[in-house]
Amino acid sequence: MALADPLGAGLPQSDRLRAFGIVALNGMFDEMDANGVLRQAVELLPGDIAIVSSFGADSAVILHMVASIDPGLPVLFLETGKHFAETLDYVETLSRHLGLTNVRALRPDPEDVRRFDPNGDLWETDPDSCCHIRKTEPLDLALAGFGGWVTGRKRFQTADRGVLPHFELTSDDRIKVNPLAYWNDSDIAAYRKAHDLPEHPLYAEGFRSIGCASCTSVVAEGEDARSGRWRGRNKTECGIHFDVNARIARPLPVAEATVFSNGRFIADPWRDWAEGDAADGVRYTHVPLPVFLEHRETFLKNPHPLGLLVAPGDAIESVAGDLGRFASVAIAFPAFTDGRGYSTARLVTERYGFVGEVRAVGDVLIDQIRLMRRCGITAFVVAHEPTRAALADGRLGDLPVYLQPVGRDEVPVGSRRFLRRAGPSA
Amino acid sequence: MYRYDEFDHGFVKARTEEFRDQVERRVAGQLNEDQFRPLRLMNGLYLQLHAYMLRVAIPYGTLSATQMRRLAHIARTYDRGYGHFTTRQNIQFNWPRLKDVPAILDELAGVEMHAIQTSGNCIRNVTTDAFAGAAADEVIDPRPVAEIIRQWSSVHPEFTYLPRKFKIAITGAPNDRAAVKFHDIGLMASANAQGEIGWAVHVGGGMGRTPMIGKLINGFVPHADLLAYLESILRVYNRYGRRDNKYKARVKILVHEEGLDAIRDQVEAEFEAARGGVLTLPQTELDRIAAYFVPPEFAEVATEFDLEVERRRDPAFARFVENNSFPHRQPGYASVTVSLKPVGGAPGDASAEQMDVLADLAKKYSFGELRVSHEQNIVLPHVAISDLRDLHAGLVAAGLATGNIGSITDMIACPGLDYCALANARSIPVAQELSRRFADPARQKQIGPLKIKISGCINACGHHHVGHIGILGVEKKGTELYQITIGGDATEQASIGTILGPGLSAEQVPGAVETLVDTYLLARASPEESFIAAHRRLGDAPFKEALYGSR
Ligand code: SF4
Ligand code: SF4
Repeated sequence: MALADPLGAGLPQSDRLRAFGIVALNGMFDEMDANGVLRQAVELLPGDIAIVSSFGADSAVILHMVASIDPGLPVLFLETGKHFAETLDYVETLSRHLGLTNVRALRPDPEDVRRFDPNGDLWETDPDSCCHIRKTEPLDLALAGFGGWVTGRKRFQTADRGVLPHFELTSDDRIKVNPLAYWNDSDIAAYRKAHDLPEHPLYAEGFRSIGCASCTSVVAEGEDARSGRWRGRNKTECGIHFDVNARIARPLPVAEATVFSNGRFIADPWRDWAEGDAADGVRYTHVPLPVFLEHRETFLKNPHPLGLLVAPGDAIESVAGDLGRFASVAIAFPAFTDGRGYSTARLVTERYGFVGEVRAVGDVLIDQIRLMRRCGITAFVVAHEPTRAALADGRLGDLPVYLQPVGRDEVPVGSRRFLRRAGPSA
Repeated sequence: MYRYDEFDHGFVKARTEEFRDQVERRVAGQLNEDQFRPLRLMNGLYLQLHAYMLRVAIPYGTLSATQMRRLAHIARTYDRGYGHFTTRQNIQFNWPRLKDVPAILDELAGVEMHAIQTSGNCIRNVTTDAFAGAAADEVIDPRPVAEIIRQWSSVHPEFTYLPRKFKIAITGAPNDRAAVKFHDIGLMASANAQGEIGWAVHVGGGMGRTPMIGKLINGFVPHADLLAYLESILRVYNRYGRRDNKYKARVKILVHEEGLDAIRDQVEAEFEAARGGVLTLPQTELDRIAAYFVPPEFAEVATEFDLEVERRRDPAFARFVENNSFPHRQPGYASVTVSLKPVGGAPGDASAEQMDVLADLAKKYSFGELRVSHEQNIVLPHVAISDLRDLHAGLVAAGLATGNIGSITDMIACPGLDYCALANARSIPVAQELSRRFADPARQKQIGPLKIKISGCINACGHHHVGHIGILGVEKKGTELYQITIGGDATEQASIGTILGPGLSAEQVPGAVETLVDTYLLARASPEESFIAAHRRLGDAPFKEALYGSR
């Protein structure tokens, strides 16, 4: 049951699931957007998710959505051996109607049935155990092969609207998806009508919640016992409790070495300093500031174009007098949350008057670029794909106005008020 | 009040559009949660235990009736019909849906409000005295300078990814009602030798797990240089503040570890380079902004009640006037605090209906202006004394007339274990039980001013460090216990409470508070000596002994 996603390979299973940001997922969808939820689930766990359906009165809705996404998705049906004949018919007719091609009937272990329910009357004496062998065990077994499953659970019965989320993370590290969490009876009815979905044959006879034939009269009790046990497996309601400090895979490195400069991507003439490089011979290389200081005399004699790499903790003051030696200053942003580079950039450009290229390297995202530009950074080495795409489209994320003067050129002009400045027209 | 010009409007509109785009990219999966988190945080959107929470900035706590009405509308339309006013003079909505957030931001932008920088590691909403521009003891109205700081700090490109959040408070009165010494930077009006007004700058105050009182880094910075000075502090902090440990990342730790003198040297060196530059504030600009804050057109009105007569006629009203009104600089007027601490309620919560009522009353009796106090109450800053009775009647009808401001039941309590994932113990039930114990107004009056503050854990959202009596939820081997502190003070006489002894159970806490109060009542030099004054004179010993016996 390997996750097909490359995300966080090497992390333990639960961390990978947490990395999906379950809590955040729950905020992403309109309450009624069952289809969106379902699609997202299928995308999250390609080939690794199953739909559990009772083929009861309400099941047509979610199965119809499943069919529209991928009729080959596995649909698990608990064939307890105790169903109404009408239900078994309905499994056939509905599957055919929707074109579902992967409906799997989960049957109890014959050995269990022989041992615990030889006469088929266990439901009368001990419905919990009956459910256990006919539902819980087969379902557990089947779900062991999946990273997540989709249920048709709805929350409209419960008063508290915080109870049942779209996505949950169960204690056994599976994603449980409840696309219909916010739907009520009339939503279901309306959908069924709109899509002209075949009705469970018993629905017309007044059955609303249809389970095993033997227990439908006592369905409330039987169902409660079962669902209580299901809930027991994740009784911490884990899904909504996880912190989202999930580890997320780093963006993939870009294949081609390009730098965004003057409004477009160009081949990057610069390279990084490497172990074994010679201070007197390298060219077009960003030399780390401590390396430069260590071999300062030699570097100053090197006749080739050189760049300087400034890490967040480096004291830019220590090379203030030498900045003129460099054609490019690269400011490292090892994590976009580390804002020290903004101060470095302003010092380099505003205080020390450096006029060459100032580039940002590292974890550069589109939402930081306008801040970086205002601090004097003019070129960007970007790995994050969507950011590259946005830059290539000329979407630089600039705001039209700024409320404070920053940088060499951002002084109040003309009649404009103090602190105000129109944004770059670019 | 300040009114947006085309720049402010353009700025907020652009930010709303930008965030709408970010939300869309998040939904489309182009941004993962790690990448989205700092972006949503900069737009005030938190992820809590159950749902998103949107925190809306109320700059320096000032609101118009129109804005209050819009907040009520948002509470009703996008939330569950209420909002929560915080100790940071903000309002929080606890149940917005991600896809609705851009629409909410549009609604806010329509009344010149936003949620920018109410979270994230940036410069947060500037806070000030809730009585600013009205208080009789004020040296200078701090709001124009607060507004200028707001503008300067809005999406400041250099200071958007600081080591940690950064809070600035400012007061123009010698009696500090903005707890400026418990902020990263605290500004207090001061005068130089020539008698000019400027700002005394404190740095490195804060609460949390390591409470610190802000230290005076510069006793007088003129208006003109203030922004350059602030930028110098921020730059030193941005460059050298610790980033290796979230709990040691606030500027208070930097100041503590490096020493005030070392930090001052660095700041002064920066300031030397920055002073006289583009951030120099022209007097004309200060005047221009100050013009937005000119006092309203006060009427010549009757100035006083005979409280004795009122007391006999309507004791509740007399109590309300005594406790909830504050001296105004304009004769015939008062500032009125509306308590959001009813007996048994959650401190700071207001329903949409109550917000509407407050807006109406502000319109009728306070020139359409309201304030949010950092003690989670609402202030109507300019009420004619002759209108007090009508105002009180309106508040009674809305269930907002609790006359307990400054008294023992005007508590601050954090959400605690009932709502907060980090909590060790419950806060609100403790507050509720205390408010019942001390519900008798006569007893409240006998006790006088006493601030109880309750936090459910060491993060100190309930400001227990500065409670005259502080209550802190701790956990020992799975049971909820409470530590009692005494002697904290958030005012200009800032002090941090000291722990009296081992933790107590929830059942013991009300009794312990009664013991402390009784000890005070017996020991006070006169009925005029307040609890905190008595504690300052007597020290911990008598209280400790009363609570834990002598050893
Ligand atoms: S519903 Fe009844 S018959 Fe079906 S498995 Fe449960 S107890 Fe057995
Ligand atoms: S003090 Fe602790 S318990 Fe209370 S709100 Fe803050 S983090 Fe939560």
